[in-house]
Amino acid sequence: MANQNYDVLIVGSGHSGGMAAGVLTQKGLRCLMLNAGPVVDFERDRKFKAAHELPYRGFGNPNAHLDHVYQANEFNANTWVSEKEAPYSYPPGAPYNWVRVRLVGGRSLFWARQSFRLSDYEFKAADHDGAGDNWPISHDDLAPYYSRVERQFRVTGRKEGLPQFPDGDFVSVADGSESECQKRITAEARKMEIPVSRMRAALGEGGLASSVNLSIPGALATGKLDVVQNAVVREITVDKDTGRASGVIFLDRHTRREMRARARVVVLAAGTLESTRLLLNSNIANSSGLVGRYLIDQQYGCTVIAAMPEARDGKANPALIGGGLFIPRFRNLDTKSKRNFRGGYAIPMSTGSTPDAKYFPEYGAALQKKLDSYAGACVQGGIYGEVLPRYENHVRINKEQKDAWGIPTLHIEARYGENERNLCRDAADTMEELYKAAGLEILVKSDKVNPPGYSIHELGTCRMGDDPKKSVLNKFNQSHDIKNLFVVDGSAFVTGGWQNPTMTILALSMRASEYLADELKKGNL
Amino acid sequence: MQRRRFMQAVTTASTAATAAAQQTPPAGEPIKIGTVSADAAAEPVSRFFTSRQLAVLRHLSRLILPASNGRPGAAEAGAAEFLDFLISVSPAPRQQLYRGGLDFVDAEAERLFAKPFPEIDEQQADKILRPLLTPWTFDPPANPRQRFLAELRADLRTATMNSKEMARATANSPRRRRGPGGAAPYWLPIDPTR
Repeated sequence: MANQNYDVLIVGSGHSGGMAAGVLTQKGLRCLMLNAGPVVDFERDRKFKAAHELPYRGFGNPNAHLDHVYQANEFNANTWVSEKEAPYSYPPGAPYNWVRVRLVGGRSLFWARQSFRLSDYEFKAADHDGAGDNWPISHDDLAPYYSRVERQFRVTGRKEGLPQFPDGDFVSVADGSESECQKRITAEARKMEIPVSRMRAALGEGGLASSVNLSIPGALATGKLDVVQNAVVREITVDKDTGRASGVIFLDRHTRREMRARARVVVLAAGTLESTRLLLNSNIANSSGLVGRYLIDQQYGCTVIAAMPEARDGKANPALIGGGLFIPRFRNLDTKSKRNFRGGYAIPMSTGSTPDAKYFPEYGAALQKKLDSYAGACVQGGIYGEVLPRYENHVRINKEQKDAWGIPTLHIEARYGENERNLCRDAADTMEELYKAAGLEILVKSDKVNPPGYSIHELGTCRMGDDPKKSVLNKFNQSHDIKNLFVVDGSAFVTGGWQNPTMTILALSMRASEYLADELKKGNL
Repeated sequence: MQRRRFMQAVTTASTAATAAAQQTPPAGEPIKIGTVSADAAAEPVSRFFTSRQLAVLRHLSRLILPASNGRPGAAEAGAAEFLDFLISVSPAPRQQLYRGGLDFVDAEAERLFAKPFPEIDEQQADKILRPLLTPWTFDPPANPRQRFLAELRADLRTATMNSKEMARATANSPRRRRGPGGAAPYWLPIDPTR
């Protein structure tokens, strides 16, 4: 007989689900975690191989059904969700790259670990320049949770004291020496009133900063967490008499056997678009009509590559060139930095790289000569660009298309607009100006970005707010309509900013879970 | 099938299955049977390009990515033969791009030099290839001939860098770890659905 005495049912096991499980079990609550895919065994499931040992020599199977996963290659192809098993749709000419992982741990297994806080330029965007709406919380509300998350994930970074780039509780790291190239770019950036910092990143433990090593093991150790793998959740069930969430129906990934799980509270942590799909397929929690609306992400791309002439022709060395730089948002902070777009962008930059052969219109010996000449002598920058929240960027259920488990799929409509294009032009022009001022030779300049979704930072679609008519969740990630339903992943975001959202998702999940536990204790749920 | 024969067949199959299930490996060291790759033991049979197209592709591979600095080029890495396989299992637009591109450069050789492309020299080939070279842009070239050359350059490089020949040639290089022919963690299928 199934154990049906769960306090909380958590759908999803990535960063947000793992955090919820960690907090809630520590508070003594019995939790059930359902995950659509299997548990990974790093020893059993991974093997070191050379590219020539792979069936397609590293190209990957051309029919792997990973058409929108630009990050896929033959080494990692088996970790992504197949678009044949779990399809989705978008309008002709407006592709969306929905990049998914359904293994236990989700995308926390593979993220780049870049760890930033949002600032009040994002939390209070409407007050600042009217770009989007305000969140119902500010940086101060979330700061204590950010701090705890940063300590748990062992985030490194350099404190700068910049309001648009809030400092965190960083584990200390040696500053390290700077190459001549880094010094030169930094000096020129200062003249242009552009701040230059270093990347902020989570060290985690043993090279991994995932729910599978930082939160789920602790939750399991309490004896209060059950994890069911290969549980594809189809719908949230609601008690007809009370209107409260009563649990979920899920299907076994292999056999399609249908199962019902019950709990006093349901927490969605399946990732922005899967949680939203679940709400839409269940037809609940949508009195505002805003479930699925205001889909945002971040634009990645906008490549500018330059070479340091002194480092060419075999003269590159660590004292001359090498090391990374990070330029946090600097546009639209005040009237002086205002441009023809709203929001901002950051520029991650590497120095000491060798450009790809594709950038040189040559072949044969002439191409090899170019590659030899530029080896290790280049500086490469791109952008993390803000995307404004817009009502028309949305997802809805596509009743004509079902996944391998017979569950209706998502139709995703997301387009970048004039604001995003102007932002990219400004970024490319700024990088070019900066490189030239630093005495570098421009090799490539492009203000184009990848399709929406590419950054794997899909956010919004269940935005939080104080007004139930204008938002789906309250400021504690709790459904306005169904009090015992929480959504703790990126779907609660009101604005996305330029920052990798992971730290904010973790902090929000921690805060929501503590609130949930308190409310449950008070008998309010 | 008569009922008696059917039952006999079922019984035989089930007995065989049971017998197989009763096999137990001997105690001690696990049984390990070493294998070699198919590439080490046999040569690929071309299956997609015509022999003329394959000859054009081989000549292009020698011109575009020749051996240098003690490293194999595309010809030594068998890149043309590998691409014959890869393109054969690729979506139709890519197949079309390759076939069209190979036929085009071959026709240009006939038009300009009255010779098949595989028989023209480096300087003559340059007169056909150079106009097809384009500076890099985020979106691939709209012209299918230019796009063919852009993709071919990239594909030949990948097929060569990821070849066994390159791995051998760079085995002792200090920069090999993540460079040409280097090894990386490969994810096996994880609890796949059938």
